[in-house]
Amino acid sequence: MNLLQSITDATNEIFETMIMLDITAGDPLEKSVNSFKCSVSGVIGLAGACKGMIAIHTPDTVAKAITGSFLGMEVEEVDDDVTDAIGELANMLGGSIKIVLDSAGKDVTLSIPSCIHGEEYSMDCVADADWVVVPFTIDAGQFLVELQIKNS
Amino acid sequence: MGKRVLVIDDSSTMRKIVSRSLRQAGLDFDKILEAGDGQEALDLLAKENVDLILSDINMPNMDGIEFLRQKKEIDGIKNIPVVMITTEGGADIIGEAKELGAAGSIKKPFTPDKINEVIGGIL
Repeated sequence: MNLLQSITDATNEIFETMIMLDITAGDPLEKSVNSFKCSVSGVIGLAGACKGMIAIHTPDTVAKAITGSFLGMEVEEVDDDVTDAIGELANMLGGSIKIVLDSAGKDVTLSIPSCIHGEEYSMDCVADADWVVVPFTIDAGQFLVELQIKNS
Repeated sequence: MGKRVLVIDDSSTMRKIVSRSLRQAGLDFDKILEAGDGQEALDLLAKENVDLILSDINMPNMDGIEFLRQKKEIDGIKNIPVVMITTEGGADIIGEAKELGAAGSIKKPFTPDKINEVIGGIL
């Protein structure tokens, strides 16, 4: 089960089929990131054989660019459309990772997606979890996709 | 009267994307109605006629599986075809949806071509 590859493949598929933006995956980060400024984070929780979460963290400018392309409209501020779109991105990422985990015999359920937006916030989800964070770049900047997972 | 479709998803983004994809797929619906969860959909179906329902599964309040369970007990709407559009691509949950009467399923992310392939075969 190669979760790094699964995250990269799932993110690429979503951006190719539904968002229509070119993205480039970078090398996974060596340190986890848990504080964010002027950003939007979409999060979906995992429960069952594994617990954890999948999140997408985007600076405001990147979140607006993604939402604009997703919905095919100009987006000037981080509003309900943006938080809903980033939450739905997390939802689709969660669905893809669930399929990978299920096929490895780890039956998990997904939470309803949630979204955090603010000038400054921090996230600390699952203690002692394995984690992987992959940066992706689009023209508007960089965003992160994070998976934290721990056997229940 | 043209055909009418009901899109059920708690994400307003996804409701907009599904509506746009139906148009891009060349599926000509006279009216696209929207509901944010299964209960809202049942309330709407008590007042409105539709020819097709597209429903998410993972939703707050009433999810897509419970919606199917309740819909199949209601005369007047039990025969309306339902296609599940969901991130939950696992065989178990899709199998349960089909046992409850779902006519098909589409996994998110999807393309307009996939929408056309599944829905075109049902209408």
